[in-house]
This record gives sequence, structure tokens and C-alpha cells, in this order.
Amino acid sequence: MLLARWLCRTAALLGAGIVVFGAAAARADDDSAFHELETKYIFGNFTVGSSTGIEGEKAFESENRIDLGKRGGRYGALQSVFEFEYTPNQFTQIEFGPILSAHDIRGVPGLDDRTAAGIGGFEAAFRSVLLDRGALPLAVTLAIEPEFHSIDETSGAHVVNYGLETKLQADAELIKNRLYLGFNLLYEPETTRNDLGGWDDESTIGGSVALAWQIIPNVAIGADLWYLRHYDGLTFRTFTGDAVYLGPTLYWKIDRKMLLSAAWETQIAGHEIGMPGPFDLTDFSQTRARLLFEYEF
Amino acid sequence: MMAKLAATRRCIVVLLMTMALQPFGGGASAQQAAAVSIAVKGGRFVPSEIRAPANRPLTISVKNLDSAAIEFESVSLRVEKIVAPGAQGAVRVRPLAPGRYEFFDDFHQQTRGTLVVE
Repeated sequence: MLLARWLCRTAALLGAGIVVFGAAAARADDDSAFHELETKYIFGNFTVGSSTGIEGEKAFESENRIDLGKRGGRYGALQSVFEFEYTPNQFTQIEFGPILSAHDIRGVPGLDDRTAAGIGGFEAAFRSVLLDRGALPLAVTLAIEPEFHSIDETSGAHVVNYGLETKLQADAELIKNRLYLGFNLLYEPETTRNDLGGWDDESTIGGSVALAWQIIPNVAIGADLWYLRHYDGLTFRTFTGDAVYLGPTLYWKIDRKMLLSAAWETQIAGHEIGMPGPFDLTDFSQTRARLLFEYEF
Repeated sequence: MMAKLAATRRCIVVLLMTMALQPFGGGASAQQAAAVSIAVKGGRFVPSEIRAPANRPLTISVKNLDSAAIEFESVSLRVEKIVAPGAQGAVRVRPLAPGRYEFFDDFHQQTRGTLVVE
């Protein structure tokens, strides 16, 4: 309850601050210089906006995720996905590509030391518009992302792992072409083959709220807040820990064909079952970051 | 475990089929499309504001009267179309809710217009 109250208060303060600042700046500037943005990546890409692209559009994406810090020792993990993105119609978008993994782990409790890199799997994404922006300034998209990992995202060990990240990606335009509010709901079940030939299931659920403000034409800055809960099993019976991440975001549409999206988030609250102290540093990292580059062709 | 994996696969297939068929739902695509026309002349859309009925598919015809190619594009309409000098192109747009939708020439981004759906 304390955590929920703290989250509500932080989100309200963050939102109020950016709305007031954004509204003041919007009045001061020439609004005709600001045009509409595709919202998919304006929240830094941990929170994803609802846009599904322009019909017929094809793009290449380099999507990089870095996780830093565990409970002691030195921990760094990089997952890079090189994706082809295609929008076949005005309602649907597909993406697919290989995953490259790299790990640098030394002296982390519960993890083997490792310095290694390799092809770590394959992932795809299917995104479909559920609610179009129209009379309401709200738009919602359903994203389903099947994944196969041959290298464990956390430990870097060789595994056989299947996941199905499912997200509701929503956003609202608070000030036309200037201020956007995004929110996501996440359910990600995973199953991993264990040493005895059986399968170990786990799942993560979560929700986020993010703000993005187009500060100058084609550049948006903002903040992203996530709450995540991890469970053993595919349902929500065995809770193992939770985490709250908060951090800044950046979106830059470099030119008509290229864009960059970045986010840097730190675990600011959380708890791991059976461990003293704050934070869940077994199921989640201390810090996480994303850097995405897209080239449309 | 094999049964669980098979059930998961069935769920994924059903979800993906639902998503793939979603654009054809609601019977909207069976409606006759409304048609509007616009031209580009002297680096401007003529007229700069066009109007169309709500909740009906729409075909926008774009005539390029300039000597350079244009790319008619809109983020909110989710369409783009390159039109050669002196040529005419058409884009088909899904049924839209009432509102104002921006469009522009992606090759000359100061060339902008608005579709008013009412």
C-alpha cells in the first residue's frame, strides 16, 4: 500500500510538472513549427506508443538493451535485436530479427562468472490497432512478441527458452503535437528447459506511465515510470519480487528516414521475497537502458 | 509438457489470426468509398483543406501539377504515395472518426494541408 501510494504521488507530481511546463512552453513557441509525431518510440521504447506506421513502410531497426548491476559483484548484459519492420496495412505492423547477446559477469551471487557474446535467439512482433485515435485523443495497440532464446538473458548461460511478451500500448495526445501521455500493460510468460529435461515456467507482469514533450521540432524529451512484478509459474501464485524503475527518455527524428530513441532507468524501489533490504536485484537489474536506431527504406 | 506447449501454440495462432483479420472487421470495408481530390501547384496543396464524411472509407486523388515529384504522406492517416510530375495518384484511407488530420509532401515538408472529417 505504501508503495502504491508513493507511486501514485510520484506519477501525479511528475505529470503535473511536465503538463504545466509543457503548456507554458507551448504558448511561448510558434505552434506551426510542430507537426504530429508517430508515437511508437517517443516514450523511449520501454514504454511503447500506439502508432503502427504508414501502410507499405519498411524499416531496419537496431534495438539495444543494456542491464547493469545485481546484488554484488560486476554485472553487465547487452541484448541487441536487428529487426526488419513492415507495415502491410493501416492496422497492423510486423517485426522480426535475430538477437545478439553479450554478458560481463564477475562475482555476482547466484550467477557464474562469464565474459561472452553470441547469437542469442530470435524474436518477432505482431502489432494491431485496437482503438484508433479519433473523437477521443486515445489510441490503443495490442502487441504480441514471441521470442526464442538460446542464451539466457540474465545469466548468459546456454538455454532453450520461449517467451511471449504481450503488451497493451496506449497513448493520448494531451496538447496537440506537443505533449503525449503513454501507458503500457505487460504480461510476459516464459518457459525454460531445465537440466532434468523438464520445463521451468516464470512470468512478469507490469504497467507503466510515460510523458513525452516535443521540446523543439522532431525532438521529444520525457520521463518513464515502470512497475514490474515477477512470479515463478505462468500464473500469479508464487510472487518472487517487484521493482519500480524511473528515468528520462529522448526521441529524435533525425531526418525523414531516420530516428533515434533512448531511455535510461534506475530501480528506485522494490523488494525481493526472502531478502532483506530494498530492491529486487535477482529478477531485475539495478539500471536498465535502451537505445534504438531506425532507418526507413 | 508437450500438451502445454501445443495449447500455447494454439493460443498464439488464434491471437495472430484475430489480429490479422482485425482490419476487415465491422463491415466498414464493404461500404462505398467517398472520393476527394487535391492538387499540388506552386509548392502548395490546392485546396489546403479538404473535407470528407466520417465513418466511410475514403479515396484521396492527388494530382501533381509541379515539375518535381512529391510524396503525399500523413502520420495520422497512415498513408504515403509518390506522385511523379504531371501525374496523378490515389491513396485509400480507412473509415475515420470526425476530426482534423494533417498531411504533407514528404519531399518538401513545408507543403502541408488538412483533411477535415465531419
